Amino acid sequence: MATKNGTKAGAKNGTKASATKGKSTSTSKVLIWTIVVAALVIGGFLLLRPANGSAGGVTNVDQNGVLKAQSDGVRVIDVRSSGEYEAGHVPGAENVPIDQFAQAIQSWDKNAPVLVYCATGSRSAEAVELLKQAGFKSIYHFNQGLQAWTGTLDTAKTASAPAAAAKPTARPVMYEFYTDW
Amino acid sequence: MKPVVDGLKKDYEGKVDFNLINTDKATAEQNQLANQLGITVVPTFVFMNKDGSVAKKVVGEQKAAALKAELDALK
Repeated sequence: MATKNGTKAGAKNGTKASATKGKSTSTSKVLIWTIVVAALVIGGFLLLRPANGSAGGVTNVDQNGVLKAQSDGVRVIDVRSSGEYEAGHVPGAENVPIDQFAQAIQSWDKNAPVLVYCATGSRSAEAVELLKQAGFKSIYHFNQGLQAWTGTLDTAKTASAPAAAAKPTARPVMYEFYTDW
Repeated sequence: MKPVVDGLKKDYEGKVDFNLINTDKATAEQNQLANQLGITVVPTFVFMNKDGSVAKKVVGEQKAAALKAELDALK
């Protein structure tokens, strides 16, 4: 009787208990693993995605991204007006005002990387579109705009001395600065 | 742009001086001028009045008509 009970009970208890234990263990195991895998996937996705967004050949960069791009030899183009450019621009940036941009880029190497910016990111967004349409492969956009720049800026004064070029001549002059492609 | 610019040189001979500078083969003086005029891109056209003031600076290849308009506006 006792044995019977014991066995039965024990067996029942044992089985039940272990069954229950087994169930809860495997459920929580599955749960834990799901969470771990999910975390890895999400984490990996966040890590692998560039800190700045990137889609379709266009990479948004912040100020540090601009400096890094420059040191990698990427051309930095300021698409604001020449007056704005002269008042202060990213050191080493070239000025191609947005109204001349579409025309100017036609003679550029479309495989070379290009970075554009303006004051707030709106004109440069337009420049990005023009570059995409023209088939540029490697486009960088300092989308925050110069208003977010906290480093030094070159001005017309620091970059050059325009006053010195004002030499009176007998006739007006048209200069063309060109290269032999 | 050479044919366009050559055509303009003919049309404006005596009225406007043309100074075409190949930045690959520029002299020190020409490079200095390029710096002073803030040339960073080629081609760039700079239209300068007689008094030495810059009337217009235009970047990128241009149509003849656009260049003519700037030439006509020079003083």
